[in-house]
Amino acid sequence: MKMTRLYLSNDTSSLAAGAGRLADAWNERPEVQLIRTSSRGAFFLEPMVERDMLNGREAWFNVTPEDLPRIVGGIGGTPVTKLPFLQQQTRCTFANFGITEPLALDAYQMKGGMKGLTAAWNLSPQAIVEELHISRLRGRGGAAFPVWKKWQVAQLIEAEQKYVVANADEGDAGTYCDRMVMEGDPFRLIEGMLICARAIGATRGYIYCRYEYPAAARTMKFAIQKALEAGLLDFDDYPFDLEVVVGAGSYVCGEETALLESLEGRRGVVLAKPPYPAESGLYGKPTVVSNVLTFASIPNILAKGGAWHAALGTEGSCGTMALQLGGRVKQPGLVEVPFGLTLREVLDRFGGGMAIGSRFKAVQVGGPLGSLFPESQLDIPICYDAFANAGAILGHGGIVVYDQETDMVELARHFMAFTADESCGKCTPCRIGSVRGREILERIQSGQGTAEDLILLSDLGETMKTASLCALGGRAPYPVETAIEHFGEEFRQGAKFASRA
Amino acid sequence: MTTRDRSGLAEALEACRPLPPDGPNILKALLAVQSALGHVPPSAIPQIAQALGATEAQIAGVLSYYSDLRTQSTGRHLIRVCTGESCMANQGGRVFRAIQDHVGVAAGRTTSEGRFTLEQMSCVGNCAVSPTVMIDEDLHGRVIHSDIPSLLEHYR
Ligand SMILES: Cc1cc2nc3c(=O)[nH]c(=O)nc-3n(C[C@H](O)[C@H](O)[C@H](O)COP(=O)(O)O)c2cc1C
Ligand code: FES
Repeated sequence: MKMTRLYLSNDTSSLAAGAGRLADAWNERPEVQLIRTSSRGAFFLEPMVERDMLNGREAWFNVTPEDLPRIVGGIGGTPVTKLPFLQQQTRCTFANFGITEPLALDAYQMKGGMKGLTAAWNLSPQAIVEELHISRLRGRGGAAFPVWKKWQVAQLIEAEQKYVVANADEGDAGTYCDRMVMEGDPFRLIEGMLICARAIGATRGYIYCRYEYPAAARTMKFAIQKALEAGLLDFDDYPFDLEVVVGAGSYVCGEETALLESLEGRRGVVLAKPPYPAESGLYGKPTVVSNVLTFASIPNILAKGGAWHAALGTEGSCGTMALQLGGRVKQPGLVEVPFGLTLREVLDRFGGGMAIGSRFKAVQVGGPLGSLFPESQLDIPICYDAFANAGAILGHGGIVVYDQETDMVELARHFMAFTADESCGKCTPCRIGSVRGREILERIQSGQGTAEDLILLSDLGETMKTASLCALGGRAPYPVETAIEHFGEEFRQGAKFASRA
Repeated sequence: MTTRDRSGLAEALEACRPLPPDGPNILKALLAVQSALGHVPPSAIPQIAQALGATEAQIAGVLSYYSDLRTQSTGRHLIRVCTGESCMANQGGRVFRAIQDHVGVAAGRTTSEGRFTLEQMSCVGNCAVSPTVMIDEDLHGRVIHSDIPSLLEHYR
């Protein structure tokens, strides 16, 4: 019997959407050979099955086990290149997604993998940093700090031990691109970290992966083992030690100083900066902490040159951004595009508008500390400067759309309660401010709020913004304040508001 | 602690002996204990402190800080419902209430016959197929509140 080779994603979200059920049903079937790949990121179509046809891959969407005869018969597939959701993207960091098997090192190399590392070996450490300078890459974890500056600081300090740490805590709700990288293209993260190690002279690396990502941690461990066996971790005169360390469920451990505390096994409490980790980080040694997506962007930069990267995107925001659509859009999924499209374009073109039965109410960009945008503000371009000018953040690229069912007072309360739960307790504005903020919003929610409460909330917000030690307290007021700014009438519903009016 | 817990604890701690020059790693040790016993019993704190050469206060401090470290054993099945914003927008709250009604306990509690423990959790990166419910190791996406009874049937 002729065997048909089918490609099925092994990504956690593909499995949660039903890919596992397909694998269980088809694994023993003699007529098919299942290849478990990463996901294309078009999650609204998952579980999605692909096969090779004369003109390349064709795909079947939202597949159930009963669809097998149709797929084997080659009936009703759609050429992957014709999918608008994918066709309109610029896949650089995510170029391999949906195509390769995550742990196949040879496939990674055949697709151009490890070319960046080879290029880095032919450059001096200074020249690597210069290439990043030219690329104008900024960190993708949230703070958008120029990557080359951090590397240069760590490079210039003399120390017998330096560290490279990948921040895989991905705490922002609504984000999942780091998880996808680790599960779907683990060698890209390893390659980026090796290039950094070479540039700063580090001999040890850690991937600090959140507890909630067991599949990512497992895949990374396998990939490290494979890289080790292939000799990729052998530097000239020493081996590079790379280890996956698992966290234990604390949002603030994504903040770099808290992360390093946690990596040393202590309570993940934020430390005052300076000193910055690049000067004095893990065990007091120079440490580059960068986001997973930042590291994953680096191999292409070294392979294609910094100028290639600088030419993508906008003046202040170069390269591509991995946007992650969630909430009530029709087409949730991963969107990699050069910076510069407007938020409206992203929602229309990729999000495909609203889910059935939903009307747009607001969109939040940048996770639980990000601002809310109403319909009238959707023409803002996706780039760091425009967002900073609007008092907003792009953060890690999470985009969550809320519909008419969303109760804005409850949402605002949820944000303050989140900060109160997750505050590390080190600074007072965040520790106490978030609790007081939550209490005020609970009062408003119970119908006992007054106009003074809104003034109090605004004063409290100012204190938190100016006096908090890190962005948890410093940004927590923004989603609340933008909710009040755009949906104020929902906050002024209680009897005590009415009696004063 | 049972005798089995005691030997599991000793074994887990043996693997976490502090290695110079980095010193003891309390979080790593507590995660190892949890993976051996399912939770970290507070009665084990003195022994953990001794094995790591740390104070009991240091151990207790780390244990209470991290929400994924648990001090009590769970029921046969652990249900965790995501409270992240994408799940919230997709009626995750309704799903949570449906589960709560069905199993009859509040978040953080275990049902009397020990079948289910119900918890809320932060985003697990499954936002694109939300709302998300995790039962033991299984992640369920696009969960609809009316499907809860049949979903839970699979976990006896
Ligand atoms: C409360 C808080 C949470 C954070 N969470 C994360 C996170 O989950 N992942 C991440 O990469 N950066 C996170 N950051 C940013 C880190 O502190 C740091 O800036 C980043 O890891 C640096 O990497 P990058 O330069 O590649 O962005 C967080 C910051 C704060 C204040
Ligand atoms: S918000 Fe629930 S999985 Fe991300």
